[in-house]
Amino acid sequence: MKRRSFIQRTALTAAGALASPYILPSGRLFSRSGNRSADHVVLVMFAGGVRHQESIGMRYLDDAQIGEPYPGNIMYNMLTGAPPTQKIVYGTGEGGINPIPAILNQSLHQQGTLYSEVTALSTGHYGGLNSILQGASVDAQGLRQRPQKPTIFEYLRRHGGYSASDVWFVGNGIGGSIPLLNHSEHPDYGVKYGANFFAPTVTFHPICEGYLGNGKVYHPENELAPMYQLKAFLDNTFQQFGNSLDALGNTEEEKQNIKTFMDLMYEKTQNGTIALPPVADNGDLYTVGYACEVLQHFKPAFLAVNLTAVDSCHSDFSSYLAALHRADHAVGHLWNYIQSQIPDMAGNTTIIIVPECGRNDEPNAIIDSNGWRAYDHSDLNSLRIFGMMAGPQIDANVTIGSEGSPVGKISDVMLTCADILGIDPQTLIATGLPAEGSASWIN
Amino acid sequence: MNTQDSTETSKTRVVETLKPAKEIILAALATGALASCRKEEPEVIYDINNVQLYGSAAEKDKLKTNEQYVSILFTNLFQTAISSEAAFELNQCLLSIGDQELAREVLISNFFNQQGVQLPAVEEMNADPDSFIIDTYKRFFVRIPSEAEITWVRNFIQSNPYLTPELVYFAFAISNEYLYY
Repeated sequence: MKRRSFIQRTALTAAGALASPYILPSGRLFSRSGNRSADHVVLVMFAGGVRHQESIGMRYLDDAQIGEPYPGNIMYNMLTGAPPTQKIVYGTGEGGINPIPAILNQSLHQQGTLYSEVTALSTGHYGGLNSILQGASVDAQGLRQRPQKPTIFEYLRRHGGYSASDVWFVGNGIGGSIPLLNHSEHPDYGVKYGANFFAPTVTFHPICEGYLGNGKVYHPENELAPMYQLKAFLDNTFQQFGNSLDALGNTEEEKQNIKTFMDLMYEKTQNGTIALPPVADNGDLYTVGYACEVLQHFKPAFLAVNLTAVDSCHSDFSSYLAALHRADHAVGHLWNYIQSQIPDMAGNTTIIIVPECGRNDEPNAIIDSNGWRAYDHSDLNSLRIFGMMAGPQIDANVTIGSEGSPVGKISDVMLTCADILGIDPQTLIATGLPAEGSASWIN
Repeated sequence: MNTQDSTETSKTRVVETLKPAKEIILAALATGALASCRKEEPEVIYDINNVQLYGSAAEKDKLKTNEQYVSILFTNLFQTAISSEAAFELNQCLLSIGDQELAREVLISNFFNQQGVQLPAVEEMNADPDSFIIDTYKRFFVRIPSEAEITWVRNFIQSNPYLTPELVYFAFAISNEYLYY
């Protein structure tokens, strides 16, 4: 073959390969959209409900507590606005009188786009998280039940071809549905497309370190390889009787990498060198510290992290304000850490922040130590949330929608994440699984 | 309890109505007589029930819970029961990790790093692989292996110089069949 014709054929073959559908491990065909706007997406979810009035409304006590006309922004890493000047209870020190200094020089709103009023699809616990991750309405979704419809993790792995250690869910604990959210029970998706998951405040707690932190090291070729061969034989035999068990699908290399990460975390936890935020006095801040470690170690395409301390609002409004302030501190730290400590992710990561639901318009009867009333989440005000994103190709300092004029649904978040990472949202919408009327926020 | 109470009452009544000189003898007689009327307590014998072996792996169709898995695993490896507190804590630890297969591997590698795991010697395994294989299937899978299984595992043991009983146990403990009962 002449050199010129060889080059022509090679070029044609390469072009054909690029243009043809991507054959996934499942054998199904999906077209690559090729429109990835960032290499990484970090999704921060506030579970438990964030009241619109104290967050986007920046009204602090002014709206929530009668006779306390003190507005102000206590989320100044995310939102642009002056903080309260009186009745400060959300900071550190005795009575919380010292606000935590801002981490970011520019608020995330100034760096990105704020959807100032978005409609949630559920007012209850885990319903909101499920609707974020599934991009679906969750009317029939039960508590402590695997998601019924596929999650963003599964869409990314199945339609985007991402590996298991490329998608992560970092949970605030193992209560309720949290440890079940890393994959659905949908027959076409499920565990084999699930995300890796840690509830780091449990996994890396000294109790679990006692059970999991001193593993024997085996030689990968001489010892592990024959051991896995024997396991494969045993599994094949068992499968002949019609029994099989899908697994998450980490390769042996990925598994070893995760085990290395676990050992590193036990060591860093003991040494006090986890990448915690400057103030780390509640569980959310620890969770975010470990999320930073996951990002640093794996540099995944997608990581979702769940914060939950704001749910103290059911019984303690002052504690809720402190938790909201710390959630903002956590987000500021996370974004700053990505930009300053992870060169591979700086400049090509998009962050998306969304609460799972809002909170009620009217308080309940519980009064806290400051004489302030608490709020549950069950009425229409609980469907009022916000969404925010910043990163490559995201317009800066833009506000979409306004108070009382909602734009977007919570289920849009799943399609937006998929879109950023190169999956055509129409491919997912065509499955009929996302909530009706959902759309990506990109373009 | 009732028998004991009535014995005490009768004893007291008898002692109160008699002169002090005869008290001790009569009390002893009365006690002896009453004691002889006591119902014999059955002797308590602690034993282990025999476990029926499965006819084949096909009979296993129920997935073990985490608690069941760690309890049975601990017993299989250490030949002693795990405490309920440890089983509870281990369940929490396993729940906090998404890849359950990986979590089990980490747990087992930790168990093998502890004192007290009951393992046959490599020499024993190599000297009589068939017995070792049958014992291992019974210990982990609660069934007798088929001839085909014995042959395959025997050949595998004999062709892998680095294979130890520990690694064989490891493979059985993370196998899918071991997750079912």
